Amino acid sequence: MLSEQAKSEIRALQARYPVPRSALGSALYVAQREIGWLPPPVLAEVAALFGLDATEVGEFASFYHMYNTHREPGQYHIEICDNVPCMLGGAARLGDLLQERLGIGFGETTPDGKFSLGHVECLGACATAPMFMCTEKATAKIRYFEELDTPEKLDEVLALIGAGQGFDTCERWPVGPGRHGGSPETNFLLARVDKPDSHRIETYIADGGYETAKAVTTGGKTPQQVSDEVKAANIRGRGGAGFPAGTKWGFLPAGKYPRYLVVNADESEPGTFKDRMIMEYDPHQLLEGMILACYAIGAERAFIYVRGEYYFAAERLAGAVVEAEAKGFLGENIFGSGKALKVVVHRGAGAYECGEETALLTSLEGYRGHPRLKPPFPAVEGLYAKPTIVNNVETIANVPHVLRRGADWYKQWGTPQSTGFRVFCLSGQVKQPGLYELPHGVTLRELIYTYGGGLTEEAGELKAVIPGGLSVQLLDPSQLDTPLDYENVAAQGSSLGSAAVIVIGANQSLVEIARRTLAFYREESCGKCTPCREGTPWLEAILERIEHGEGRVADIALLNYLADMIGGKSFCPFGYAAVWGLQSNLAKFRPEFDAAIAGATGLPVIPVRPTYRPDTGVPSGVTSPSLPLEEKFNAPTHRR
Amino acid sequence: MPDLVTLTVDDVKVTVPAGTLVVDAAKAAGIEIPIFCSHPKLDPLGACRMCLVEFVGPRGSKLDTACTVRVSEGMTVRTSTEQVKAVREANLGFILINHPLDCPICDKGGECPLQDQTMAYGAGVSQFVEAKRQKQKHYPISDLILLDQERCILCWRCIRYLDEWEDKPQIGLFERGGETVIDTFPGQPVDAATSGNIIDICPVGALTNRVSRFRFRPWELKKTPSVCTLCPVGCNLRLDERVHELRRIVARENLAVNDEWLCDKGRFLHQYVDHPERLRTPLVRDAAGEALRPATWDEALHRVIEKLGDIADTNGANALGGIASARVSNEAAYLFQKFFRALVGANNIDFADGSAVKAQPTGLSAIADIAKSDLIVLVGFDPSEAAPVLDLHIKRAARRAGAKLLVINPRRIALAKYPGAYLPVLPGGEAWDLNGLATALQAARAANQAGSKPAPAPTGKAKLETKVAVMAELRPAYDLLAAAKAPLFIYGPDAARGQLGKLAVTALSNLAVALGFGDRLAYVGAEANSQGARDMGLLSDTLPGHQPVTDAAVRERLGKLWGVQPPAEPGQSYAAMAAGGVKALYVMGANPAATVAGAEALHKLDFLVVQDLFLTETAQLADVVLPATSFAEADGTYTNLERRVQRGPQGIKPAGESQADWAILAALAEKWLASQTVDTGEVSKAIEQPDWKKKRRKIKAGPAPKPWNYPTAQAVLDEIGKAVPPYASLRWDALGEAGVQWSTSALVRAPRRVEPVDVAPIAAAPAGSFTLVSGPLLWDNGPLMPYGAEQVRKLTPTPFVALNPADLTMAALAEGRQVTVTSAYGNVTLTLKADASVQPGTAWVPANLAGAPAETLGAVRGEPVSVAVKLV
Repeated sequence: MLSEQAKSEIRALQARYPVPRSALGSALYVAQREIGWLPPPVLAEVAALFGLDATEVGEFASFYHMYNTHREPGQYHIEICDNVPCMLGGAARLGDLLQERLGIGFGETTPDGKFSLGHVECLGACATAPMFMCTEKATAKIRYFEELDTPEKLDEVLALIGAGQGFDTCERWPVGPGRHGGSPETNFLLARVDKPDSHRIETYIADGGYETAKAVTTGGKTPQQVSDEVKAANIRGRGGAGFPAGTKWGFLPAGKYPRYLVVNADESEPGTFKDRMIMEYDPHQLLEGMILACYAIGAERAFIYVRGEYYFAAERLAGAVVEAEAKGFLGENIFGSGKALKVVVHRGAGAYECGEETALLTSLEGYRGHPRLKPPFPAVEGLYAKPTIVNNVETIANVPHVLRRGADWYKQWGTPQSTGFRVFCLSGQVKQPGLYELPHGVTLRELIYTYGGGLTEEAGELKAVIPGGLSVQLLDPSQLDTPLDYENVAAQGSSLGSAAVIVIGANQSLVEIARRTLAFYREESCGKCTPCREGTPWLEAILERIEHGEGRVADIALLNYLADMIGGKSFCPFGYAAVWGLQSNLAKFRPEFDAAIAGATGLPVIPVRPTYRPDTGVPSGVTSPSLPLEEKFNAPTHRR
Repeated sequence: MPDLVTLTVDDVKVTVPAGTLVVDAAKAAGIEIPIFCSHPKLDPLGACRMCLVEFVGPRGSKLDTACTVRVSEGMTVRTSTEQVKAVREANLGFILINHPLDCPICDKGGECPLQDQTMAYGAGVSQFVEAKRQKQKHYPISDLILLDQERCILCWRCIRYLDEWEDKPQIGLFERGGETVIDTFPGQPVDAATSGNIIDICPVGALTNRVSRFRFRPWELKKTPSVCTLCPVGCNLRLDERVHELRRIVARENLAVNDEWLCDKGRFLHQYVDHPERLRTPLVRDAAGEALRPATWDEALHRVIEKLGDIADTNGANALGGIASARVSNEAAYLFQKFFRALVGANNIDFADGSAVKAQPTGLSAIADIAKSDLIVLVGFDPSEAAPVLDLHIKRAARRAGAKLLVINPRRIALAKYPGAYLPVLPGGEAWDLNGLATALQAARAANQAGSKPAPAPTGKAKLETKVAVMAELRPAYDLLAAAKAPLFIYGPDAARGQLGKLAVTALSNLAVALGFGDRLAYVGAEANSQGARDMGLLSDTLPGHQPVTDAAVRERLGKLWGVQPPAEPGQSYAAMAAGGVKALYVMGANPAATVAGAEALHKLDFLVVQDLFLTETAQLADVVLPATSFAEADGTYTNLERRVQRGPQGIKPAGESQADWAILAALAEKWLASQTVDTGEVSKAIEQPDWKKKRRKIKAGPAPKPWNYPTAQAVLDEIGKAVPPYASLRWDALGEAGVQWSTSALVRAPRRVEPVDVAPIAAAPAGSFTLVSGPLLWDNGPLMPYGAEQVRKLTPTPFVALNPADLTMAALAEGRQVTVTSAYGNVTLTLKADASVQPGTAWVPANLAGAPAETLGAVRGEPVSVAVKLV
């Protein structure tokens, strides 16, 4: 039973949104903190608080991985990232070590209930791999523990957590923004992150922060002028698609209000960790961008949809909102301009698909994060079916810089079509992984070798590069001189995406990369449409066989066929994202796959087809239908 | 936007209304695009990807889903290119890899869209060598439906149906990605009243019918289009028969009536047709105290004729009466009243809620008008329990068309949750509130017309003050009514019985007239053919065609048709006859002995004939029992709540020797006529004389009834066309499979005017007692329910009384306890429940529960009844 305090907390959360159902996700966090996990009676209780059918809450909770609907985790729930960037950074070693130190396997809890162990997908800590996140059950706090590349560091961290001191702060361990760099003259978005208290409003104001927003909103510019400036600067969307923000704003239907701005902070594309830095270490920069964007589009409410794992970022953002409200920069009468702006920091709960803008809006409304039909596009019918602009964190963070110095200043950097600077996320087998803020058009070679210091000794020669996040096509060493802008990367048959550059060395199997990539898309498919839901597990299963010496010659053609029948056939761009890497991998590195198949130790063990049972009332043996529905719900499902 | 759009689908030019989905436009062009998730009655989803087709544009062709894209002018669509074929083949492959392919033991096999499409568009071979995913198989999600998660292809149709139509999202998607399953919430079975529709729309065998499971293979079934006779909506359905057993009922599309939906009662309650306890031969009782014994039809009918004749001769025609049910066909209802009026010579004919209820003769203007209404006023009518498919239409109007609901009911019925207002009333108190509203609206209207400020017309100081006080609680209802541009008024028998009911109906009529919508007032009866029974004149005071028996012209017209005129004096009502107003009673399909008091009254009869499917409480008291057929076993027509006359053809061989109700009456009439000798003082002319005939009755000289010659039900319908003017054109063939609404223009109607009503408020029950509230429950213990399948019978609750939780607390009573409920008419022992929909001060006992507790307590008497509730 939820306490009265929890219930009033939930009611307060409901009041933050125009439609109370949006608070469902946050309410479940409250319930999970209080009860420890979310068994059906708790879900039903939350449903009652929302006037929903329990089914609706059950559906919602079981979609997001951060809600524990199947079993109660340990007091400290450790989840290790082993997605491709972390895999390249030694996640497997960390995983082995963790199992050894804790004496449990993945999916298990120590007998004293103190620790439990699990996997997660990319947490946006790719340059500081290997790492894990830990959730303190009693407080629902989440903290990242990064750079755990030695047993000593792991022991130190486990001791800290075990002593109950791991959550005195939620700032990442080791404390600090991590490695970043770039050319000094284009250092804008990351200019402040090393300063002490870089996240505080005073620090931001001392750097001239909020002056632009104040000047613009108090008569400096009309909303149209702001839009025009952003359009002129050609700020292209930093989430991955590269769509110009100003053009997007122009799609809003005239005269239809209310309108909403939703900042997409669901940074989940494996290899990408730039938005996290901005939110954790310079949140006011984002807020100022939001004030300007809302002024331009005529929105009085804005939401920041932060991925659930980014607990610290959400905490920092929430703190920043409070600071800005106290100063009158947000609230009923911002800067005394008579304009109002309310910003709500909304936490997701673990679903890559929610980075797709319509899925994000569906999730923000309190539903499972399935994408919805376009048209209508969000600009016409978005959040609560009202005109809505969805922009990425980095995109919005560029807006104050453009408005402060003008579009012409901005366009002096980058290329004519890919203007401005970009925060490149360099990860994988390089000596100096990290965030590098550089103008568009810097070459891949320069990024990897000049800034990244080249490949590690262990990695050997460069074998492949993923230039824009795990979902894009691989490039090979012959393409190293590709300038990193939208057009040139596209011309090379790939995409700049979220500018997450993952470097793969000679010692790494590309079959494993392909398998791990598909494992991610299988895990994160929302399940709405057939090709993704059925195709991604199929691809993964084939790749698993090939990797484990059970490949068939026919598998290569089958992989290509299936990939072709998923990409572009699915409901949303997820289908393409799931197969581009594999398709380019097969095209460029086919010999590795052939070799794995040629070296097969045996033909696949073709499973006996399931037998079909007439309805004799005899349990199927698969699951036991004699169990009451409740136990069935609680029973762990098979998760690879 | 132009109203029509022309596009090209595979070189076929087709013109369709703007807004049409491409998949439907292709269908109009005669081109099939395969679909799974798309459904004409559900919102587009685009999830299954089966309908991907090529859209040819300026920048080449692009794949998109035909089920989500709407047509545009000049659009070019290609549905059979190599690419489209390849994608379909691959997509079917994706669907099939984890589908169990257990078609040989799947109920859907043979009528399965997945099978059909695999045949039409599939690859024919599988490239899948991995292990299939295993999920939960065949487990119940309700008493009526089984779910097989392995067969499910996640098209979301069931989820969308329950959400979009039922507003009960009780099935959802759990987990995600490849592990996604549909499921119910743990421990919470699906209880939507129309849940069975998800079985019909499931494109695979994931959802199966527990009542019909493994009872048929689709290709072996004989399928007969028919209509449901369990409530007045008259949903269209199909009877699926095999080797003389009704195996299954599925919905049949009729856009004007039920779209393509059926309620669960209509779908799952059919095993009574094949029930072993069905009456298979006539039964007779040779002497009081002896048991009923089987008899031949000849003997049984002879016994009826002889006894009825004797009693009529001794005590006069008025000593005979007939009580029918409004569940029977028009043909049966018509011949029943004709038998009494033309042969017996009495108007003693009625049915429950017949002459006791003041009904509008015309029913609902049209079911389709619900969607066009901005305010739906429901007085004493709970569609969620009484007519679930009507409930679907109303919910749809409330959620999709923004209609408001004004619910006037002693209980806060389920529909009261939708925008609008709920006006709690005590049973019998409807008239007071309705009159208050009508008076205020009339006054406002008059004032508006006069151009002055609205003020209620003073009708004496005290009255005015009461009205003003009342207006405060009536305000929300008044505002809704005053703002309504297209209101629709529907009332049910619970608000219309007896003297108070007459006042309520008059007040409601005044209200509708005051708003200028007198023609949008509808009565919906309890039984399926209530409208038809009234049309046929199955009433003590009304002749066929809604004409009063006092109308000489109508009597004369009928006299020409029948040979003799019906009597001019109104006959006895149901209540009068059941209370012993007659010496001999003919009961067709009704069960007045369900209550102890009712049975006692029947004991006093000299002679009782019962014509029914089962040996009901009433039949057990009968002297002669005649086995009748169910709706599925005989041709007949039924008239639904919107006056739609629909065919219910025979779909299965009758049980045993049972005969259609109309045929029994026709045979009886034949024997009756044969038994008569017109006393002309001369030797009678030889009339055909059957063997069994020993005695001939002499009747007075005068016009003789014409012979009854009805070889078929259609022949009866032909005569109905002559007797009931609005039915003149409604021949069997003309009705077709969708039925025809009879035209109200053929009916001479009373002028629409405001009639004065003199009402007083109803006093609440004295302290310590409760006002009895009753009304329909979908899963009651109605006449056929005890003979349904076990899964269906389980749905009927143990007889209960429900009180408001606050009353329960105040009276220090605990839920679940056995209590004795006592009224002036009787007492019953019931289980106590708490129910917030029950208003404080009232006690809710649904109608037709086992043992007829509500009826025993006097719930259907049309007067307020106060009850005491005491722990046993």
